[in-house]
Amino acid sequence: MTQAASVDMTRINKFYGPFQALRDVSLHIPPGKVTCLIGPSGSGKSTLLRCINFLERYDAGEIRIDGQLIGYDTPGGRLMSGRRLREMRRDIGMVFQQFNLWPHMTALQNVAEGLERVRGLPRAEAEAQARAALDKVGLGDKTANHPARLSGGQQQRVAIARAIAMQPRVMLFDEPTSALDPELVGEVLAVMKQLAAEGMTMVVVTHEMGFAAHVADRVAFMERGELVAAGTPAEIFANPRDERIRAFLHSYHERNAFEV
Amino acid sequence: MELSVLQQYGPMLLRGFGITVFCWLAGTVLSMALGLMIALAQRYGPRWLNWLLRAYIEVIRGTPFLVQLFVLYYGGPLVGLRLDALPAGLLGLTVYGSPYFAEIFRSGFGAVPHGQIEAARAVGIPEPSIVRRILLPLALVSALPALVNFSIILTKETVILSIITVPELMYQTQRMSTETFRYLEANFVLALFFWGLVETISRLGRRLEARVTRHIERG
Ligand SMILES: Nc1ncnc2c1ncn2[C@@H]1O[C@H](COP(=O)(O)OP(=O)(O)OP(=O)(O)O)[C@@H](O)[C@H]1O
Ligand SMILES: [Mg+2]
Repeated sequence: MTQAASVDMTRINKFYGPFQALRDVSLHIPPGKVTCLIGPSGSGKSTLLRCINFLERYDAGEIRIDGQLIGYDTPGGRLMSGRRLREMRRDIGMVFQQFNLWPHMTALQNVAEGLERVRGLPRAEAEAQARAALDKVGLGDKTANHPARLSGGQQQRVAIARAIAMQPRVMLFDEPTSALDPELVGEVLAVMKQLAAEGMTMVVVTHEMGFAAHVADRVAFMERGELVAAGTPAEIFANPRDERIRAFLHSYHERNAFEV
Repeated sequence: MELSVLQQYGPMLLRGFGITVFCWLAGTVLSMALGLMIALAQRYGPRWLNWLLRAYIEVIRGTPFLVQLFVLYYGGPLVGLRLDALPAGLLGLTVYGSPYFAEIFRSGFGAVPHGQIEAARAVGIPEPSIVRRILLPLALVSALPALVNFSIILTKETVILSIITVPELMYQTQRMSTETFRYLEANFVLALFFWGLVETISRLGRRLEARVTRHIERG
């Protein structure tokens, strides 16, 4: 795999009009590790994740991918050129809650599209690499299917293949299993674990506390646009010092507990 | 009804129908192309251009085609725009149809889920490729019924070209009826030809729709 990259966020602020969605968020994402972002709904997890590949424009602060500033030419300076931004995005794969596959293309075309248009590979070479990526997520036999002919879990695995085919150095996941039927969650998490084992830098927004507790190297907890705490899963889950984290975990356990 | 007049006027009527079909086809293709350019310019162009195009859309949609055609054909020469009847008619149809097509494309763009565009940006695909490979195909699929519908409306707008002497079907049937006083037969022929044309277009449209949506909808 290509060299895994680190992500460094320093005092990120983000406004939607008068509403402040991110307040002075600073977070280091170590290379080759899995970092999970957790927290209540509306706390700014997606916003922060989307700032990393500049799908969302942050208003103040710095985000650096392996030391390189993304979005602006200089901190607080002019927006970087579209070309430069696209170059940086090649290194950052993203997987969305709603998969966002292109429905008029087959699984193979979905994965090959970026290889052709961004990496400039000839069609045949792009398709060969796309096939390899689909093989890797266990969908080597579904290459000719359109998204409408795939289950949710399969669609999300195609979306992961689409991202990893570009050989990114960081992968962003925004609640990759939240739109899935419970019985399909496992197959997607399995692919993500495999990626993690290969040493990919992963930032995962998730409500799957099990995944966060068992797969993450680091867990960051957000609330109301602030980063409350970041640490090992043990530090966050086993003995959280902050009351807000305890309250969040408590309500999570209440929602997910069931009697037989 | 006395259909024997058709023997004499048949070839002329057929030629007229040929010109009607040609005007419809050329007018539809040209106004659709112009409409698409307007919609793209509104989406990607600067704000002042958006306002300008908005005004163009409102003015053209707010005035009858008949009036537009008169202004173009009889008023055009006053500002140095001297066109023959047929080119003037095609230009008129293009101008008249473009705002409707622009609005259809605009709503087609709106129907493409933003996430699918974002996914393309996240991969690093350049914006022109996103438009060509993702936005346009998906917008076309959702806009197809409306595109076909407006194309059908345009078939009947072509009869207005007769007032600037384009020798299309309406013009020929009017000539036949003033020469023979066979008004009923003339209108019968007119209705029959148009019904045939519209029926053909809507059948083709439904076929095309089934074809382009076959992968997209679950079935
Ligand atoms: N485009 C927008 N315009 C205005 N406000 C927004 C926009 N996007 C997000 N917000 C607001 O910013 C805050 C953070 O949103 P965000 O989507 O990042 O939360 P989240 O932590 O991902 O929540 P969830 O777990 O529900 O996905 C929310 O209060 C939301 O309403
Ligand atoms: Mg979210």
